[in-house]
Amino acid sequence: MSGRPRRTSLAGVLAVALLAASCGGGGDGGGDGDAAGSDEQVTLRFAWWGSDERRELTEAAIAAFEEQHPDIDVQGEYIEWSGYWDRLATQVAAGDAPDVITQEERFLREYAGRGALLDLSEYEDTIDLSQLDPLVTGSGEVDGGLFGVPSGVNAYVVYANPELFAQAGVDLPDDTTWTWDDYIRIANEITAATAGEVFGAMDYGGNEAGLKILARQHGQEMYDANGELAFDPATLAQWWEYSLQLRDGGGAPQATMSAEQQDTGSPEQTLLGTNRAAMAWYWSNTLAALSGASGTELQLLRPPGEHERERTGNYYKPAMHYSVSARTAHPEEAAMLVDFLLNDPAAIDAIRSDRGLPANLEQRERILADLDEHQVAEAEYLDEIQEDVVDAPPAPPIGAGQVVDIIKRLNIEVLFDRLSPDEAAEQFISEVEAATG
Amino acid sequence: MTTVPTSSRDQAPGEPPPEAPEQPPEPGRGRRSPLAKREGRVAYLFLAPWFIGMVVVTIGPILASLYLSFTEYSLLQPPEWLGLENYRRMLEDERLHTALRVTFTYVLVSVPLQLALALALAFFLDRGVRGLSVYRSVYYLPSLLGGSVAIAILWRQIFGTEGLINQLLGLVGIEGQGWVSHPDHALSTLIVLNVWTFGAPMVIFLAGLRQIPAMYYEAAEVDGAGGFTKFWRITVPLLTPIIFFNLVLQIIGSFQTFTQAFIVSGGTGGPADSTLFYTLYTYQRGFGSFEMGYASALAWVLLIIIAGFTAVNFLAAKRWVHYGD
Repeated sequence: MSGRPRRTSLAGVLAVALLAASCGGGGDGGGDGDAAGSDEQVTLRFAWWGSDERRELTEAAIAAFEEQHPDIDVQGEYIEWSGYWDRLATQVAAGDAPDVITQEERFLREYAGRGALLDLSEYEDTIDLSQLDPLVTGSGEVDGGLFGVPSGVNAYVVYANPELFAQAGVDLPDDTTWTWDDYIRIANEITAATAGEVFGAMDYGGNEAGLKILARQHGQEMYDANGELAFDPATLAQWWEYSLQLRDGGGAPQATMSAEQQDTGSPEQTLLGTNRAAMAWYWSNTLAALSGASGTELQLLRPPGEHERERTGNYYKPAMHYSVSARTAHPEEAAMLVDFLLNDPAAIDAIRSDRGLPANLEQRERILADLDEHQVAEAEYLDEIQEDVVDAPPAPPIGAGQVVDIIKRLNIEVLFDRLSPDEAAEQFISEVEAATG
Repeated sequence: MTTVPTSSRDQAPGEPPPEAPEQPPEPGRGRRSPLAKREGRVAYLFLAPWFIGMVVVTIGPILASLYLSFTEYSLLQPPEWLGLENYRRMLEDERLHTALRVTFTYVLVSVPLQLALALALAFFLDRGVRGLSVYRSVYYLPSLLGGSVAIAILWRQIFGTEGLINQLLGLVGIEGQGWVSHPDHALSTLIVLNVWTFGAPMVIFLAGLRQIPAMYYEAAEVDGAGGFTKFWRITVPLLTPIIFFNLVLQIIGSFQTFTQAFIVSGGTGGPADSTLFYTLYTYQRGFGSFEMGYASALAWVLLIIIAGFTAVNFLAAKRWVHYGD
């Protein structure tokens, strides 16, 4: 009689314990991580998105860090942009977040606001912020804490392929004066002159950064300081109206190809990277990857319409942020890695301008002297637009990460004439309000 | 013994009814020998891996998701009780309604097509084709591959703007469009992909056809029945349990389709939500916008939908499924 009840209760206890473990997992991660300060080997995981080129550069920086800190082993985790956020959300939910996490401004608040990130202001002894560009350092502050430190500075660019312009017999525009109509006309001309072999421009209607610039040119903002949408629906309708003019004029590909391009993860595989489009909108730090893919020295043009309306729209953006998981077992070491990536000459030499032109002004000055041709062009562009950059747009609200997909989806609806630009604009506003409200 | 004929409901057709085996004389329940006790313990030990796995990776998460479906849970913060709010929200969630429309269209179109193709091929292979095993393997292969990421990527290429299909169309002078990137055609390409994986039901049909005794056909031939009559009056009725089995399985499987839509649309359910399968939308809510509570509620509703379909299937089966006596 003694065996049976004991077995049952044992099984019961086991079941309850397992249930508790499975439901409450992640309540307190990292109980075994008190090794900081001792001689024990510490392993840090560092996650980022991006191209293979970025992997090489970053691994060189990691190697330099490990050389300085032989007791710290850094493991890189990298994936392309589109898969990055799915994976990060899953890892964080599972209590298995990487120690050092690369963030983007639209997602930073989401993670910080929900307690997934470490307040780095408590580690200011370790992370030296004194040399960082004041224009972008504020972008990592959320609710009075510092949850991300910008790696570098970026700006939006219309890339132009001069060889394809020459092939079409079209002159490169003067980007200090060109208007939106010039942009559309030039794109249409290129497609027509090459009999469709080369498209004048890639469709860009699914990227809110360009919309942000257009809104600012109208004297509006994508989001105001309270995180509310702050542009006229007519501005967004105009934004998509431009897309339709390009589609119908031949300057951009037909809808199906644009839909495919929109989901192409890496810039290298796009029409611009494969020399089949003469112009496309990207961030300035993709120059090296795009030029490498196309084998051409791409030109960086300012967005059209900077002097067409009320004001200029271009702005400097923190390219990405370094942040640390709130559940890291090694906060001190993780902060050391962040400091290294931001300030150490060895890291700057390895990464250069791949994560934006370095936020550390002293280091930026130092490497400007020996940048390669891509990086020089990028630095010059960022310097040139300084006269156009009036102010920085307010930080996007929590939920802004979802807008990435919303604007892409509505862009497709517009390109396939399933929604008019006006209807799509209304729907965008109601969906974004729901997502960020 | 009563004389009521017991129909052997849960049997494959053609199988002889099992002899009711005489139970070996059981030792009294209260007085088990030490050996039996030890064997019992060993049995539990062997069961343990299964039991632990069941509790940890199946029952636990299922119960947790039921609880979470009544909460707001951002994954990053502890869940907050919401009551029925998540379920109420579904009524006015327009993207969910799109997802339901897409998923129902997919299931109701692709499953009948797939089963019809599977049955037709099984029927012809059963006629004694030379090299049957080769054909069987070749046709079965897509079933093994169909759900894989690699095939979904391949599909995206084949049906792309510059893919194989359009290149072939170009040879005959038709200018095709991007199939997977067009909102009106993207779902069709996924239906074709599902129909293409007809091999698994085909193999089951083939086994079913083999079970039909030849004497029925011989008798029918003596009576002058033609090919169609034989198929319609003998093959189909005797095959109904197998058809039913395949139908239930394929419907359940199709409702849960995820990988293909995720890969072909790049995780967006696009273009313009035309391939927004229910599971994909659930995933987007849970992991894309940190609404795991709502995603859990969606998952439970899907379970109820599938259970409903299966129940209706079983009820309807009484009318059209014939179990051999």
